[in-house]
Amino acid sequence: MKKTIFLSAVALLMVGALSAQKFFTREGKISFFSDAVVEKIEAHNNTATTVLDTETNRLEFAVLIKGFQFEKALMQEHFNENYMESDQFPKASFKGQLTPDSQVNWKADGVYQVKVAGSLSIHGKTQQVTLPATFTIKSGAIQGSSSFQVAVADYGIEIPAVVRDNIAKEINIKVQANYQIFNK
Amino acid sequence: MKKYLPYLLLLVLAGVFLGYKLWNKPHEDMLLANSDIAFEATKLFSEFDTDELTANTAYLDKVILITGTVVSSSKDDNGQVKIMLESGDPMFGVICELDTHSSHKRTDFTPGESITLKGKCTGKLMDVVLVRCVEI
Repeated sequence: MKKTIFLSAVALLMVGALSAQKFFTREGKISFFSDAVVEKIEAHNNTATTVLDTETNRLEFAVLIKGFQFEKALMQEHFNENYMESDQFPKASFKGQLTPDSQVNWKADGVYQVKVAGSLSIHGKTQQVTLPATFTIKSGAIQGSSSFQVAVADYGIEIPAVVRDNIAKEINIKVQANYQIFNK
Repeated sequence: MKKYLPYLLLLVLAGVFLGYKLWNKPHEDMLLANSDIAFEATKLFSEFDTDELTANTAYLDKVILITGTVVSSSKDDNGQVKIMLESGDPMFGVICELDTHSSHKRTDFTPGESITLKGKCTGKLMDVVLVRCVEI
C-alpha cells in the first residue's frame, strides 16, 4: 500500500515537472538610450539571462552591468565608475509575473500585448514596477520584447550638476529575448 | 594685452584638442592588452560558484586569458559571436562574447575543441561572462 502511494506521488511529481514548461535564453538583448539636450547616449548588452515559466506566468531577467558596450570608451568608463558603480553593484535584475488581466495562450501562435508586474533592481535599489511587454509566438517559438522608461533618480543614481544637460533624467530601455525550451 | 593674445589662443586650442582626444579616447585594443590572469574556464567558474563576492572583487573588469573546451558557439543577427566553454557544471558555462572592435582570424568554433581566449570578465549570472574576447 505504502509503495503504491509512494509510486503515485512520484508519478504525480513527474507529470507536474513535465507540464511546468520553462523557457530561457542567455542571449537576451538589453539596450538603453539617453536622449538629452546636449548628447545622445546608447549602450548594448547581448548576454542577459532570462527565464520564462509559462505555467505560472513568471518571468525573470538578469544582466551584468559591465557587459554594456558603448560607442565611446570614456562614456563606458563614466557609466561604470561614476553612475552605476558596477564594482559594487555588478547586476541588474527584474523578477515579475504577468498581471492577471494579461492573457497569453502559450500554445497558440499570435502577438500578445501584456503587462508584467514585479521588482526591478538597479544600482542596489529595488522598485515595484509594471512594465509593458509583447510576446510573439510563432510555431512554438516565443519571442519577448519590452520598451520602457526608468528614472535614474528612482535608483539612487546621481548625475552631477555639471553634466546634467548631457544625461536624460529618464532612460529608455529596450529588451528583447528569443526563448528556447529549458530542458533540465 | 595684445602681446599675449597668440599664446592665449594657443592655450585654448590645446585645451580643445586635449578635450577632443579624451572624448574620443578609443576602447582598449584587446589584441594588445596585457592579460592580468591566466585561467582554465572550469577554475574560473568554480571560483565564482563558491564565492561570488570574492570572485567579483578579484576578477571583475580584469583581462583574463581563458582556456577551455568549446560546448557551443552561436552568431546572432548582428553577427555577434558567443562561445560557451565547459564550466565543469553541465547546466552552466563560461560565455565568451567576441570583441566587435577587433578583427578575428575565425568566428566558427567546433564543439569539443580546446581554445584560448583573452577577454574582460563582467561577472556571473547563471554563467560566468567574458566580453570583448579575442582568440589567442
